[in-house]
Amino acid sequence: MADTQWPVYEVFHQQARGEPHIHVGSVHATDAEMALVMAKEQYCRRQACVNLWVVPAAAILASEYQDGDMFEHTTDKSYRESWGYKTPKTIQKSDEETPT
Amino acid sequence: MIATIDTLHDMEASLKSAVIDLLYRLADDAIIIGHRGSEWTGFAPILEEDIAFSSMAQDDMGHAQTFYQMLFELGEPDPDTNVFARKLDQWTCAGMVSISSQRDWAMSLVRKYFYDVAASIRLDALAEGALVPLAQLARKLRSEKKYHLMHGTMWIPRLGTGTRESHQLMQSAVDTLYPHALGMFEPTSADLLLEQAGVCPREDELRKRWQAEVENVLCGATLKVDADMSPVFGGRAGKHPKDLMALLDDMQLVYNLDPHAKW
Repeated sequence: MADTQWPVYEVFHQQARGEPHIHVGSVHATDAEMALVMAKEQYCRRQACVNLWVVPAAAILASEYQDGDMFEHTTDKSYRESWGYKTPKTIQKSDEETPT
Repeated sequence: MIATIDTLHDMEASLKSAVIDLLYRLADDAIIIGHRGSEWTGFAPILEEDIAFSSMAQDDMGHAQTFYQMLFELGEPDPDTNVFARKLDQWTCAGMVSISSQRDWAMSLVRKYFYDVAASIRLDALAEGALVPLAQLARKLRSEKKYHLMHGTMWIPRLGTGTRESHQLMQSAVDTLYPHALGMFEPTSADLLLEQAGVCPREDELRKRWQAEVENVLCGATLKVDADMSPVFGGRAGKHPKDLMALLDDMQLVYNLDPHAKW
């Protein structure tokens, strides 16, 4: 069956200035401005939001799930993880004091 | 320089009654347009718009509640009594918000936009006004109106210039609604006092601002306004289109069955 829906726009919302924009869903719209107007009520009517992005879904190039094995780490790469390192005591202390 | 009025209790009797009159008009317009908006919940043409339109209806009802609350502080009945127990001729909403859209989407959109421009212009004026508690409230409510206007100015040109059919539906909505929209600015006996006290400009002045803004957007949407249209008044004096009676029957149904029901 032919798709009679309007184009899809992916919606990203930001909870506070400086925070990353996080993907929260999508809307159908004829153009970007309509998408932004619709996204505001679909995704910001309950949660805090300071900024919204809408991006045409068609503009996104996605990897294939069948290529998912490329994300696997076949050899030990724990050196990439922060837990692979001993943290000096002074930094540990400062981490504990920093509110999360 | 007009002196500010710092609390609701600093007004002499005649000004207080003018402010009460103003607040009823603001509250009644907001609750009825909100109720009209809620009639689209589950029926709007697209899912996204269904949610957006319903959300805005809730915003309008929220605005109404704050105005009814202020009326209560001025010694008027509590918000529930005002909304659920008042008779038809006690309402002061403009005819434009009362008439049924008969599930005409173009009409509902144009009506909402006409109302939102009027509400925004009023809130902007009240925010600069001399009555401090009302100015503070207006500043708070303005932020939601910003989105409502964005919604209207997004849709109007798209449907005005969309297809031949959408243009015709929008033009017909404008033709039907415009005289009723002008009726939102029906002069009242409170006008002069509110202006002199610096609380709110006269309705006539607000109408000029409204027409300048609306006609600009309609023109950009290739929609025409007949300059000879004269306003339909009556709502502010309690004379309403029959559609309002059906709305009140619906809205007040539960209360009329059992005024003491808890829900």
